[in-house]
Amino acid sequence: MDSLFEIEHLTVSFRSKRRASLLRKSAPMKALDDVSLIIKERETFGLTGETGSGKSTLAKVLVALYKPTSGTVKLLGRKIDYRNRKDIAFLRQNVGIVFQDPVRSLNPRLTVKEVISEALIASKTIPKKDYDERIDFITRLVGVTKDLLPRRPRELSGGQRQRISLARALVVPKKLLILDEPTSALDVSIQAQVLNTLKKLKSELDMSYLFITHDINVIKYVSHRLGVLFYGRLVEMGDTRTICTDPRHPYTQKLISNVLTLKKAQLQETVVSEHRPAPTGCRYRIVCSSVFEKCSAVPPAIDLGAGHLVSCFLYENRLDNPGLASTQAVSVAEDPSRSEGDLRAPPQDGS
Amino acid sequence: MIAQSRQVFLVSSPVQRANGQSPSGHDSMDAPDDAISLMAHDHTESILTVKNLTIDFVSIDGRVRILNNVSLNAKKGEVIGLVGESGSGKTTLGLAILGLLDTPPAEIASGSIVFENEDVLKLPPDKLVDLRGTGINMVFQEPLDSLNPVYTVESQIGEAIRVQRKRMSPTIAEEAEGDSKQVITDLLKNLCIDKPDEVLEQYPHELSGGMRQRVAISMSIIEKPKLMISDEPTTGLDAYVQNRILGMFSAQRKGGATIIYITHDLTVASQICDRMYIMYAGRVMEAGNTRDVLQHSLHPYTNTLVASVPEGFEDAPPLPVQLGEPPDLRSLPSGCKFNPRCPFVKDICKKEEPSLEEVSPGRYTACWRVDKTSGQFIRD
Repeated sequence: MDSLFEIEHLTVSFRSKRRASLLRKSAPMKALDDVSLIIKERETFGLTGETGSGKSTLAKVLVALYKPTSGTVKLLGRKIDYRNRKDIAFLRQNVGIVFQDPVRSLNPRLTVKEVISEALIASKTIPKKDYDERIDFITRLVGVTKDLLPRRPRELSGGQRQRISLARALVVPKKLLILDEPTSALDVSIQAQVLNTLKKLKSELDMSYLFITHDINVIKYVSHRLGVLFYGRLVEMGDTRTICTDPRHPYTQKLISNVLTLKKAQLQETVVSEHRPAPTGCRYRIVCSSVFEKCSAVPPAIDLGAGHLVSCFLYENRLDNPGLASTQAVSVAEDPSRSEGDLRAPPQDGS
Repeated sequence: MIAQSRQVFLVSSPVQRANGQSPSGHDSMDAPDDAISLMAHDHTESILTVKNLTIDFVSIDGRVRILNNVSLNAKKGEVIGLVGESGSGKTTLGLAILGLLDTPPAEIASGSIVFENEDVLKLPPDKLVDLRGTGINMVFQEPLDSLNPVYTVESQIGEAIRVQRKRMSPTIAEEAEGDSKQVITDLLKNLCIDKPDEVLEQYPHELSGGMRQRVAISMSIIEKPKLMISDEPTTGLDAYVQNRILGMFSAQRKGGATIIYITHDLTVASQICDRMYIMYAGRVMEAGNTRDVLQHSLHPYTNTLVASVPEGFEDAPPLPVQLGEPPDLRSLPSGCKFNPRCPFVKDICKKEEPSLEEVSPGRYTACWRVDKTSGQFIRD
């Protein structure tokens, strides 16, 4: 598969308006810190992490709602210059986005048809005579019935609104659709319906998804590859199945072990400490139970093979001596004296 | 087949009238008292019994029935789950138990809510105030709305302690005034808040969502309520924070608290609840032991909820759910309210509404397809 998006060393920082003192501005807060990833064509890339980890910031950079502080974003081989209007137009032509809150992301004064038509008008690439045909095609695909078209968003249910957001994003064909927590405001049975629709759409429209959610059950179900963010840094990335069954980064291990399923009792009453990011070095080292001296430096992304990257010094030896590191990695993950070791969720395949 | 099950159904009509609803709605008022004994199976003391509760909301547009003949009971030390989608009446039931519903627009059409031998619905306002907090209290979904933005965490939790102590014994309350800070610090430490001293000085807007919710829950816990109602306390929080909060609830349960846990998330309910009530369109569709309800669900709606939990990886088959929206309470279908979304719908489902019946000890369901004697779901 060819790569669609190439994101290299992307850093986005925000500066608080409040000054640290009269003479000194406050230090910038890095929402994304040196994130590199590739989104391939026709794949679903899942991005997960807790609140404030920078998931939505990445989404907004990809539709040019935020500008990167440093780093490069390449779409279809073309490097995006965020100061160039043409580049931004090129970006937005190819990337659609669906936001979490279907109430706030639809204009309450427009009818459903107007909401969807707006996207067509803005695109300027589709001739006016084709509008009706496009709207008809896309509404059928996302499962919006014709009788909804003259209505306004407030008359619709959450699931219907989210389908309309989908239709708006896709009425002009896109290369990538960003789904930023598309189902977390929906009821569970509606979430299931929307997930089914999304999977069907993807196969019919020949595009990629960037699926952002904190719900591991959902992301596992939809994505081919998975990236895990922790306070702006990508801590682990790779094949979804690999990460869900054999997480390597201590944070991912904790995250996966906290996924609730219907099948067994998993709730622990153990005291787990607060997630506080470290200001320097590995962000996770304050809470990490396998921390050692090296962790005060920023860990490099270490390739464990088959595109499985992990940013953790535990696997560093792999760089020089692959054989040694793999045994070390296993012993770290399975050592019962470490609390994380036994927190790992057992393999959960589709059975 | 239909005729036969009708037969069984008529024979068991006292049960039907007591637990379920009748089409006319009149019987519910004079339902026999054995409804309670039927619902409580062992002899542990019931702390809360809701019986045939029907609540309407009245507005200019008309009257909408939010709860229809809901019966529920909670024994001491039990965690009860109220599970259902939006609009199923879960929160309304919670608010009604606390006496927090505004009347109007709400109107209690029938039923009773008995908490420790007193009908909450008949209590005068000042008695209700005494009941709230230390008797029954509630943790709401959005903690930012339930905390006061202009007071620090310390003064808010402190107020809860003062109320609790005053009610326990007014004299001790004054003597113990000084050590309340210590009590709060200890409590927050127990709730895995790392630096309680720092948190105490902060205002709600300075805290993260998970932290706010923990503060709200600690205010509730510190009052040592006999019954704690928590309304979707973990919705919108990520898995890790959610599990910490759930851990707090299970610790409370070990401490003997009775909890009514309102959620739309079956995975959460499966982890924490002893028994659950599956609600749809203001009705209880299925009730029973958590394990029974999840592993051998009888009602097709429960099945839908179970099937909606995503499972497997990207190459997994589509989730086996039917298309359909949550019901509009203003225009409910006739017959079983789930019938437009039900994959097993048959003629009678569209004509007559099934009543909630006990199909095996402690197990209730309202579905025409469930055989009342064998307690089996019949697909035919």
